[in-house]
Amino acid sequence: MEQGTIIEIQGLTKTFRGALEPAVKGISLSIGRNEIFGLLGPNGAGKTTTISILCGLFPATSGKINIDGMDMKGDLSNIKQIVGVVPQDIALYPTLTARENLDFYGHMYGLSGKLLKDKIDMWLENFGLTEAAKRKVNTYSGGMKRRVNLIAAILHDPKILFLDEPTVGVDVQSRNVIIDYLKKLNDNGTTIIYTSHHMDEAEHFCTKVAIIDNGTIIEQGTPAELISRYDGCHNLESVFLQLTKRRLRD
Amino acid sequence: MIKKLLASVRKETLLLLRDRVGLAILFIMPMVLIFVMTLIQDSAFKTLNEKGIPVVFVNEDKDSLGITIEQGLRGSTLCAFSDSIDGQPATYETAKNAVADGKFLVGVVIPKGATDAIRKNVMQLVEETMSTDSVQTIAISDSVDITIFIDPITKKSFLTSITSSLREFISIVKTKIMFQTFSDQIAEIIPDQEKKPVNAFNKTQIIKYNEVFASKQIEEIVPNAVQHNVPAWTIFAMFFIVIPMAGSIMKEKNEGSVFRLHTMPSSYLLLINGKIITYIFVCMIQFVLMMSVGLYFLPMLGLPKLFMGNSYLALFIITLATAFAATGYGVMVGTIASTEQQGAIGGALSILLLSAIGGVWVPTYVMPGVMRDLSALSPLNWSLNSFYELFLRGAGVEAVWYDALKLMLFFLLTMTVASIINRSNRKI
Ligand SMILES: Nc1ncnc2c1ncn2[C@@H]1O[C@H](COP(=O)(O)OP(=O)(O)O)[C@@H](O)[C@H]1O
Ligand SMILES: [Mg+2]
Repeated sequence: MEQGTIIEIQGLTKTFRGALEPAVKGISLSIGRNEIFGLLGPNGAGKTTTISILCGLFPATSGKINIDGMDMKGDLSNIKQIVGVVPQDIALYPTLTARENLDFYGHMYGLSGKLLKDKIDMWLENFGLTEAAKRKVNTYSGGMKRRVNLIAAILHDPKILFLDEPTVGVDVQSRNVIIDYLKKLNDNGTTIIYTSHHMDEAEHFCTKVAIIDNGTIIEQGTPAELISRYDGCHNLESVFLQLTKRRLRD
Repeated sequence: MIKKLLASVRKETLLLLRDRVGLAILFIMPMVLIFVMTLIQDSAFKTLNEKGIPVVFVNEDKDSLGITIEQGLRGSTLCAFSDSIDGQPATYETAKNAVADGKFLVGVVIPKGATDAIRKNVMQLVEETMSTDSVQTIAISDSVDITIFIDPITKKSFLTSITSSLREFISIVKTKIMFQTFSDQIAEIIPDQEKKPVNAFNKTQIIKYNEVFASKQIEEIVPNAVQHNVPAWTIFAMFFIVIPMAGSIMKEKNEGSVFRLHTMPSSYLLLINGKIITYIFVCMIQFVLMMSVGLYFLPMLGLPKLFMGNSYLALFIITLATAFAATGYGVMVGTIASTEQQGAIGGALSILLLSAIGGVWVPTYVMPGVMRDLSALSPLNWSLNSFYELFLRGAGVEAVWYDALKLMLFFLLTMTVASIINRSNRKI
């Protein structure tokens, strides 16, 4: 593993049980330490599948994954301790308050006592949720839920944070708050890997992107590199459309 | 590790406290059921067609009365007749012990010389009736003692039917003897039509019944609706936790918490253990509530007070084992079901079924033989049998440990099934 690389993926393949074709077809990727890495692609390209395998949700069919010097197969529980995951869908207990949710998930990461309480207080404050934290999550707006969903993944100060489409269905205000905080986290040394199909957002936010379609990485580099690589393209969106051929997706 | 477990117990408790429907199912419904079922039971059981109750018969008489009763019992659909115990002809003592041990629910002993005694009485009666003296001088010198042993769990309504059948057989015998005696007498004397002996006969109770409750209790507990319904519905309620429990497992899957937990350095088993601990506490609270209904609330309605037996240790053991079995079952249903609704319906229906064959609604001994064999498959039945031992026979730990062990094995089985299914579901 190269110095400065935090995630190394070689020949990652995933064929779901009963599927005719692999969802991910031999992906190889290197993600640098402290990067904001965007995994971009149309619906059904294999983004969620790739991220899920990296988070240890289910095993790959084949391929090698190394995270922060640890092998995925042998060191899964150690890897989970340094990784934070923000799922695509809200994963919170609707009848518990934000504080109760965070207290539970914090404990599941092995945090407890005053340390945990202070962290929860700090993040609720940062995300403007201190008042709302006493209410049940099912009384929250979509944007508020997204923010709690994010806090639950960063209480244990992960080295690597995975986010699967964190800005889908979020109003512009909440989206900006989230992006700002992700930048702050990144400034403090967290490597961020995120998926999106908002090319505009990715172009400004990511330090590196990879474009995935049909389970294969078809292009990668910094946003600027990609834009200059294709004639007549002025932004990431036109590169993306050119590469994925304007095909309609389900 | 302990902190993680405590956190998951705390989470589970909060979720449950905020689930109003779940709380109602767990605590209100079974309390209402105990009240309703106990109150309506008497009338409901009277119309119940009770069949095939195991009866052991000891015929020391070997004359008309004994033979008639034996024929009657053998021919009755009410009884499963037997006159031997473990291959040996039954005697007064062995019959009494067999009933005390629960091998038979009722024992009937016709003493030696019973027919002769009746004959003597009838003769005397007939002579007095036929004599020119007044009817009121009827004196019965000798009565027959038929002993009936009764297992305390036998329903009162069944007892009524068995004693009334016995009375019927006896009156058949009496009539026969009477008829014979009369025929003999009539042959000698010209009958006086004004002095039919019918009235005198009806007024006379020749045979006395000794109803002995064959319990090893010193102070005998009379079986009643309370002693059956309180434990039966307590067990039912404990198993009914399957609905909120499976619901909570399903919700966690649907709401994504399980997904998130799989990305965390804590095992899913820890989460499940948190649930099991919480729901075992729930079962214990249910138990205390239901018992208090039997001890304090039912007597307010004029029903008998619950008798809880002599061994609190045995009671604790069987209750805890029942709680384990119930929570294990909840975990299994929650794991197998693929939607919340499926879990709730499947859970409720299976508990209704298991409770019906297990003897919660209708005691197993009034069921036909095939059903009785089936009922031994229901964990609710294992638990109920142990409660009968404690509440009706006043037994101790020795009477419940086997059922408790079976319930714990059931818990292990359900957990194994759940974990196999869970593992195969995660293989995608
Ligand atoms: N659990 C699953 N079982 C079977 N097929 C799946 C499963 N999850 C995803 N897929 C399939 O794998 C492909 C990639 O899906 P996914 O990784 O969710 O795409 P994306 O997140 O890029 O939209 C799709 O064709 C999808 O239908
Ligand atoms: Mg996706």
